[in-house]
Amino acid sequence: MPPLSMTAPLVAATSLSPTMIQVIASVIVILVMLHVILGGCAYCIMLERKLSAWMQDRVGPNRVGPKGLLQPIADGLKFIMKEDYNPRGVETFLFVLAPGIIMIPAMIAFVIIPWAGVLQLSSLPWGLAQTLGVEGMTVKLTGADVNVGLIYLIAAASLGVYGVALGGWASNSKYSFLGGLRASAQMISYEIPMGLSLLAIVLVAGTVEPYGIISEQSENGWNLLHQPLAAIIFYSCMLAEANRAPFDLAEAESELVGGYHTEYSSMKFALFFLGEYFHMITGAAFFTLLFLGGFSVNPLPFGPDLPTEGGLGLILLQWLVVLAKVTILISFAMAIRWTLPRFRFDQLMRLAWEGMIPASLLVVSMSALFVYMGWTAWTWAGSIACVAIIYMVWPYLPRQPNPNRRLALIGSRFSPLRDGDSIAVESTEFADSPVPPTRGA
Amino acid sequence: MSALALAQVDLNAYIPVGVVFLMAAIFVVVNLGASALLGPRRAGAVKATAYESGMDPIGSARRRFNVRFYIMAMTFLVFDVEIIFLYPWAVSFTQLEPRSEEGALFLGRIAFFVGTSIVAYVYAWRKGVFRWD
Repeated sequence: MPPLSMTAPLVAATSLSPTMIQVIASVIVILVMLHVILGGCAYCIMLERKLSAWMQDRVGPNRVGPKGLLQPIADGLKFIMKEDYNPRGVETFLFVLAPGIIMIPAMIAFVIIPWAGVLQLSSLPWGLAQTLGVEGMTVKLTGADVNVGLIYLIAAASLGVYGVALGGWASNSKYSFLGGLRASAQMISYEIPMGLSLLAIVLVAGTVEPYGIISEQSENGWNLLHQPLAAIIFYSCMLAEANRAPFDLAEAESELVGGYHTEYSSMKFALFFLGEYFHMITGAAFFTLLFLGGFSVNPLPFGPDLPTEGGLGLILLQWLVVLAKVTILISFAMAIRWTLPRFRFDQLMRLAWEGMIPASLLVVSMSALFVYMGWTAWTWAGSIACVAIIYMVWPYLPRQPNPNRRLALIGSRFSPLRDGDSIAVESTEFADSPVPPTRGA
Repeated sequence: MSALALAQVDLNAYIPVGVVFLMAAIFVVVNLGASALLGPRRAGAVKATAYESGMDPIGSARRRFNVRFYIMAMTFLVFDVEIIFLYPWAVSFTQLEPRSEEGALFLGRIAFFVGTSIVAYVYAWRKGVFRWD
């Protein structure tokens, strides 16, 4: 099946090839979406503060502008006007580079997301199509129409770990160093289940092209219904990759102050923050593309749905559908942040390596088997079978000692060794043990 | 997708990626430059020290750290490289006939490939690589 934009133009009046027209349209989409997302980032912070205030029965920011709506602009100006300070002992070049290395991958990753369907250029107003000689042509409303879309996104997004590691190392602060180590360990750990659950989708869709995945979903129903377990794993990994609560170990205030950005001030700090929110918006859009059918409005394999190709009105409607889904996913992430407590670091690592990786390997094996058997419409049943298998295997997995358990170790100062005692672990509370004999008595 | 169709991939499709990279770089440079130019400058002996909750920092922060991070990163590499190999496999595997002999061959080979790293994974688990206490 040839891509839709490659269909031969009816009127070959323009000197531009269809690819170049697509490139021009893509650059326009990038210009629009970059501003929308950057503004969205600023207002996400606002939304987060308002949501947390609402959940904790507070008022939230309400001083700047009507109902506090100008607060993000005031914050941005304040960030620029603050002192840009490099403490003593920092590796200056890397210290300045790190926020950039966070921000640039976050900003380039979003380009492959389809923000709407395929636009028929003949429907442009004021006879623009005739003037430009592009009648009968179509363009995809995406930043870059590359055929390895999903792999590009996951590769670009995972570059952010360099910024975290460099920022932590260059700061010459122990908090930053530990925060950077933890954050990079966390980000690389959660990349594996993320990649594997993405693979489950590729196995169902049979393509890594974003538009191919969306058209497959509008035909056969959303992947959320086909691969629910992969969706849950992917969403959790998305939160972990963006360092969002409950996975925000990198900036655990009670242990590490600010984590890897403890020593950063003014705009450098703001770029770390902006990168996190940018990452979250990209992640939500990616989840929309993979599991919520992109601009499709009907989750079921039958019934009416929006057409893929159309005029400006349809494109606008599809764009709003995508933005609505992204907003819902982000609000959900924020609700999670103010609901769940933070993990401990060992719990976080065990969740990734002993929980999510086996589970996602199971999902991928199940999907591969179902594809081989030709049961692609029944992968939801396979997901349920996977959950059943996990519950059956759970009691037989090797247990680790709980580090919080109290041990009354005989021979310790709480339970000193007496004559005739063997060295063993006693489970009695030390309050019940007899008064220890004083030494030398 | 046939080899012919793959050969016709137009690299012009990647131009927007370059454009957005440039825009991101300009965004970062302008913002960092603006705050460096517009912000005040006041130095101080105490201000220059690393923040350690009010304690005087002892020694450099760049010291030796737990080897677990290194071992875990190596395990990550094994899996990450494996996943990269799985994507092309997945795309071509779905285009085979269900229950065909070729499909069984594809499935068996990739099962062996994944199986080798699962053996390594189980070994790492039993060795306590994922145990952080």
